[in-house]
Amino acid sequence: MYKLNEDINYIVSGLERSGTSVMMQMLDKGGLPTAFDDSRPADQHNPRGYFELAGGKIINHLINGTSNLDLYKGQIIKITAYGLKYLPTGKYKIIYMMRHLDEVLNSMQKMGADIDREKDHVLFDKLNQFSLNLLKNRADIDYTIIDYHHIVTNPEREITLVGKFLGITFDYKNAMNAVEEQLYRNRAEKYQ
Amino acid sequence: MSSKEPVKPVYIPISMYEQIQERVDVSEFTSVEEYVLFVLEEVLKDDEEVEIVFSKEEEEEVKKRLKALGYLD
Repeated sequence: MYKLNEDINYIVSGLERSGTSVMMQMLDKGGLPTAFDDSRPADQHNPRGYFELAGGKIINHLINGTSNLDLYKGQIIKITAYGLKYLPTGKYKIIYMMRHLDEVLNSMQKMGADIDREKDHVLFDKLNQFSLNLLKNRADIDYTIIDYHHIVTNPEREITLVGKFLGITFDYKNAMNAVEEQLYRNRAEKYQ
Repeated sequence: MSSKEPVKPVYIPISMYEQIQERVDVSEFTSVEEYVLFVLEEVLKDDEEVEIVFSKEEEEEVKKRLKALGYLD
């Protein structure tokens, strides 16, 4: 197990269904300290698991002020994009996942969300831009953007970029093994 | 950018063009020109610093979707 800076909260973020679980899995398999529980078990939508805390409802804890992020300093946790605005003042390193919005919406629909493609494309694009602005403007956040498509097509390059961002060389080989082409479901038409 | 907007040529090294073409080949962009325009627009957007605000209705819609996906109670 590799060690991260215990003064920093490390977060994997991005829109829901943008590859946050895949990134968490890569980091976990790569030997980095990750924090998640089994409140939400693996299913057909995330066959390897969700790699999240509190069954994915950590955002509720952040909103209520009942989440103690100090407990997770030096570890990597997953907080999806909407939760970022509730982060208390601190010291953060955030890996923000980006994915083609059509693929995100495809995946949300498959999970049973009632998606209006036109309206929700605008809505989630706005949430993405809001989140990116927040990352840019908060002085206590250092961030990097990783593209989900590149993770699947060139995992070595992307995981090396993540290592540079985190300031640590970890088990890249094991991290890359976590990515499987067949997990690239809901691929946008352009990539088919 | 509309197709009727007047344009001016800008030249880049062939090596840079080829690097960009490699990225275009594995992305949703359809040409080097489209990629370059996108990047430049993003850079210029940074200078404009537009604040993005969610209306109450938009935020409720986001929360509704997240609840359906199990990310919110």
